Amino acid sequence: MIAPTATLPRKGLGWYLYGVAAADEASARLGAGLAAGAAQEVELVAEGPLVGVASRVSLEEFDEQALPDRLSDATWLEQKIRTHEHVLERVLEHASVVPCRFGTVYRGEVELRRFLSERGEALEAALDRVRGKVEVGVKAFVDRDRFAAGRARQNDDIRQLEAQASTAEGGRAYLERRRLEQLVASELERFRGEATDRIHTRLMSAAEDGLVLPLQAPELSGRAEEMVFNGAYLVTADRVGFEEALGSLARDIRDDGIDLELTGPWPAYNFVPEELGAG
Amino acid sequence: MSMSEQQTLKQQVTLLELVDRVLNKGVVVSGDITLSVAGVDLVYVGLRVLLSSVATLEEPRERISAAGAAP
Repeated sequence: MIAPTATLPRKGLGWYLYGVAAADEASARLGAGLAAGAAQEVELVAEGPLVGVASRVSLEEFDEQALPDRLSDATWLEQKIRTHEHVLERVLEHASVVPCRFGTVYRGEVELRRFLSERGEALEAALDRVRGKVEVGVKAFVDRDRFAAGRARQNDDIRQLEAQASTAEGGRAYLERRRLEQLVASELERFRGEATDRIHTRLMSAAEDGLVLPLQAPELSGRAEEMVFNGAYLVTADRVGFEEALGSLARDIRDDGIDLELTGPWPAYNFVPEELGAG
Repeated sequence: MSMSEQQTLKQQVTLLELVDRVLNKGVVVSGDITLSVAGVDLVYVGLRVLLSSVATLEEPRERISAAGAAP
């Protein structure tokens, strides 16, 4: 496949780096047939024990001046983001990979190779950390009605209030219901405070590493239920032990109205160094 | 909710997960050998652009500090 960018003048091409893998793993198993998307060829740029997983891209496309406009083009951005992830997922099927952040573009092959050699030690250390592992995401959502029902089974006050609210009439029923809502809300507040301990601690015992991430607002999570936990875990690539732990946790907290959502496997975006300067 | 709406919702969730990771995480290579996207709040720009149907973008309610954090 010939990338359309190949028709541009040579000096206008840079290298988009998706990630870095070990040469022995990547070259043997990936071969040359790594296609990024419909229109882009992916190449393995070998430098010592490492390979950069990269594509030639137009420097104009990622130029600092042009980028703000590009970034506001939803179609362009979504396509580039999906390509970035797609390439890394293909690599991940065969080899461990240190993922780069979106938009890592080198002016030329010399610059890319210089990065791979000068930062070789740090990159190898980062690779060692994620070797044979993948990242998974775990989110917990609370269903308020089921949460209230679950709490009522454990909490006498809530049970009593529920009974009173269901038999009371008029203004009194309204007040009882308000009190019930407040009590459930404060129980929920308490649960939120404990969620990290209850969920994260248990999942950490089945993971190599893990992180508590910021919660997402309902508009972003795409679910009506409130998110009470958001985490990322570095787990062995087969994921067996982790998924067992997750399943048993899910059964334990289901009666509290808590549902768990698993995403991945992802390249270990959350478990690589944030910054690797060019020196 | 219709099937196609559910499908759209699911795709949007997946895209959000992607945006959060691809734009916000992963190794950042800084220095003069790369074109620099430093200084651009990629994740904010990305979310704003890609989820433009969303009226409000709230900051996360609380930022829990990482336990057993990455380096």
